Amino acid sequence: MRDLQLSLNQTQRVRLQAALQQLQDLASQAAGSSSVTIADTIPVNNEDGILKGHGTSELDGQVVATLCGVVERVNKLVYVRALRARYKPEVGDIIVGRVIEIAPKRWRLEINFSQDAVLMLSSMNLPDGIQRRRTAVDELNMRTIFEENDVVCAEVRGFQHDGSLHLQARSQKYGKLERGQLLTVPAYLVKRRKQHFHHLEQYCVDLILGCNGFIWVGEHLETGENNMLEDREKRPETSKSNMIHEEQEQTFTPLEVRQHICRIANAVRLLAALGFILTVESIVDTAEASASSNIEIKDMLGPEFYVQTVEREVQRRILLSRKRV
Amino acid sequence: MATNPATYSPSQSLERRQQQQRRKIFLQADWTRTDGRSFHQCRPAFMRTGASNAASGSAYAEFGGTKVIVSVFGPRESKKAMMYSDTGRLNCNVSYTTFSTPTRGQGSDHKEYSSMLHKALEGAIILETFPKTTVDVFALVLESGGSDLPVIISCASLALADAGIMMYDLVSSVSVSCFGNNLVIDPTAEEEACQDGSLMIACMPARYEVTQLTLTGEWSTAKINEAMELCLDACLKLANIMRSCLKEIAS
Amino acid sequence: MVGLSTGEKHFIHGGIAQDLRSDGRKRLHFRPISVETGVIPQANGSARVRLGATDVIVSIKAELGKPNSFQPDKGKVAIFIDCSPTAAPEFEGRGGEELSSELSVALERCFLGGKTGTGAGIDLSSLIVVEGKVCWDLYIDGLVISSDGNLLDALAAAIKVALSNTGIPKVNVDLGASPDDQPEVDVSDEEFLQFDTSGVPVVVTLTKVGRHYIVDATLEEESQMSSAVSVSVNRHGHICGLTKRGGAGLDPSVILDMISVAKHVSQNLISVLDSEIAAAEANADE
Repeated sequence: MRDLQLSLNQTQRVRLQAALQQLQDLASQAAGSSSVTIADTIPVNNEDGILKGHGTSELDGQVVATLCGVVERVNKLVYVRALRARYKPEVGDIIVGRVIEIAPKRWRLEINFSQDAVLMLSSMNLPDGIQRRRTAVDELNMRTIFEENDVVCAEVRGFQHDGSLHLQARSQKYGKLERGQLLTVPAYLVKRRKQHFHHLEQYCVDLILGCNGFIWVGEHLETGENNMLEDREKRPETSKSNMIHEEQEQTFTPLEVRQHICRIANAVRLLAALGFILTVESIVDTAEASASSNIEIKDMLGPEFYVQTVEREVQRRILLSRKRV
Repeated sequence: MATNPATYSPSQSLERRQQQQRRKIFLQADWTRTDGRSFHQCRPAFMRTGASNAASGSAYAEFGGTKVIVSVFGPRESKKAMMYSDTGRLNCNVSYTTFSTPTRGQGSDHKEYSSMLHKALEGAIILETFPKTTVDVFALVLESGGSDLPVIISCASLALADAGIMMYDLVSSVSVSCFGNNLVIDPTAEEEACQDGSLMIACMPARYEVTQLTLTGEWSTAKINEAMELCLDACLKLANIMRSCLKEIAS
Repeated sequence: MVGLSTGEKHFIHGGIAQDLRSDGRKRLHFRPISVETGVIPQANGSARVRLGATDVIVSIKAELGKPNSFQPDKGKVAIFIDCSPTAAPEFEGRGGEELSSELSVALERCFLGGKTGTGAGIDLSSLIVVEGKVCWDLYIDGLVISSDGNLLDALAAAIKVALSNTGIPKVNVDLGASPDDQPEVDVSDEEFLQFDTSGVPVVVTLTKVGRHYIVDATLEEESQMSSAVSVSVNRHGHICGLTKRGGAGLDPSVILDMISVAKHVSQNLISVLDSEIAAAEANADE
């Protein structure tokens, strides 16, 4: 509940408090493991010869936490899983990033990690789709593939020996993202799953949940066709003369699709503000709930729907815990 | 602390003059301006290019008691390490001499005017024509006699034209002061000191576009309309003067 | 300042052209606004205003001072804006200076009226204690805590709310025997006079993107603007100040059109702010 900045009326406030209380009760039931804050002592059985893991330190023979989080034990290893942390990449993660620099043979991407990621020219498919050696001409034309500030979807390839992070984009589904909006949420709200690309057919919307907390909501594009070169031709020019305005309007996202994009984007914003885990189900649920109760898109961030969403989450978790029992 | 009548202090004489002026305005509906102009008449404008040798382009402007000199340097390599950008940068600086006002001033930079000058010129310069470089515009107010900023803007656009910088249009600028129901164009410093409100327009006359507009005091919409028309009309006339000044050196 | 890719820029332009912006608002919709009063106990008045993710605090302090010799019958008001590095790393050191001074100048223009004080949102003559001798100096300090566009409107709203929250201590004046003596002033700790805020204007910034203009632009939308016009309007629908930002030229008729739109929008904003102020005061009393 970090950025609660709404003016609730009296009944809304009471409802919100009740719902939050319920959530807390449910959470404390579920939490079997103990949570610690910095400098808390972690109780261990010293005779076992335990291994101190991430987020722990030793003080006067006792194991002490150096992070706020939950204590996790795997055999002899004791470590603290942080509640809020920056994104920590793992090989195979699907991420969304923004190009910040074009360097020789590589792009640098901001991915919400402690350092920038590197996408080598050699680790991505060229627009012509042919597997071949990269030539000097390719290197000169790098800006025609990705420019500064472009939003790019890629996969974590691995760490170099110097610790830098390398990406790859060797499939049609990766590449530049256009015609939509990028949302930034805390990375811990996105869990690693089998599928991070979602095509919401009923809305004609693409939703990409990047593991690094960058979420892309945009108009659906067929991945089969290779549209990189085409895009270059129909790309809107940045000059502002009226002639080009006419042309631009024809290439705008259709209004209906745009409404869906905005509704889903606001669902993501709302869930992120509440600190709920973002999955495709929860996002679509929220968007549908707002549509079915006739809430305007802009009012999704207003107080009434905020409280409603919390209440719905309570119901969902109660159901879940019943199922478990 | 009693004041000694023997010492002369210009600030007090200015104050006295202003109070007289103010009284005059409040007493009669149609007062006459100190320099004998009618309300809708601008001061005679004198403008010349080529005031400074070292600069790539420069201009001098004299509007009654307001005297301004502007030099333009560049386009030259950006000094600041900047991100890659495909447009040029415009850097504006307005400063006052120590002897520009009746009381000896600080002679310091004028930040507010600098940023206003930047905004007024930015839209007129085709920045795309000199990527990765900077154009510096330095304005120096030799004598502050009212309507300083409009004179600086007009003079700066003349200096830019003199420096051979690509522009969509010249920028001319005029301000009006409001006294009760009267609108007074091109006010002097004395008039500015006791105005009820003011409106300043910088525009590109040939394209009929406003690049900068500021307004202070309380205005009704009809009054704004009237003042804008008055200003725009004067801007057109001023632009003709600027144009003929540029033609003169060409011929 | 984050950069935007061509695709995202195009998307924003399209949204504004189709009257459906990225967060679902129409062109003339404000983001949800929330108001808190009395956030700084040491000040005479203070307010915190949040407009979406834009977050500002304004504090008002009144100190006794000496009136300016040019205007012996008026108090003094100074507006300072500080862009804190907590809002964005670019504001660190001198980075925020340019923006800060631009905002301060624009706000002074909007609130202090012409040289003679006509059309001033803050009535300077009400700040006088003894003519020519003692007056109140009002220091209005704004702090930008987090910035997501439309700072000017948020700051102006915060100043309006803070002024309505301001209590100026009552003073008892003991005039000296001779007119040259400095009068004795006794500032009361208990009795406060409420500030008259009926004339304080609000600022509405219309940002032009493409061929349309929008109110309450976010940072992303502001990066796409060709120009913006900030109009300050008081309760009577009179214009109290106007500033243009952004380089691109505007047709005079467009400016007049923008002014009339701003007038219309401002009346809604004033009533929203009034009810928020009332709610915030009620909250503070609890």
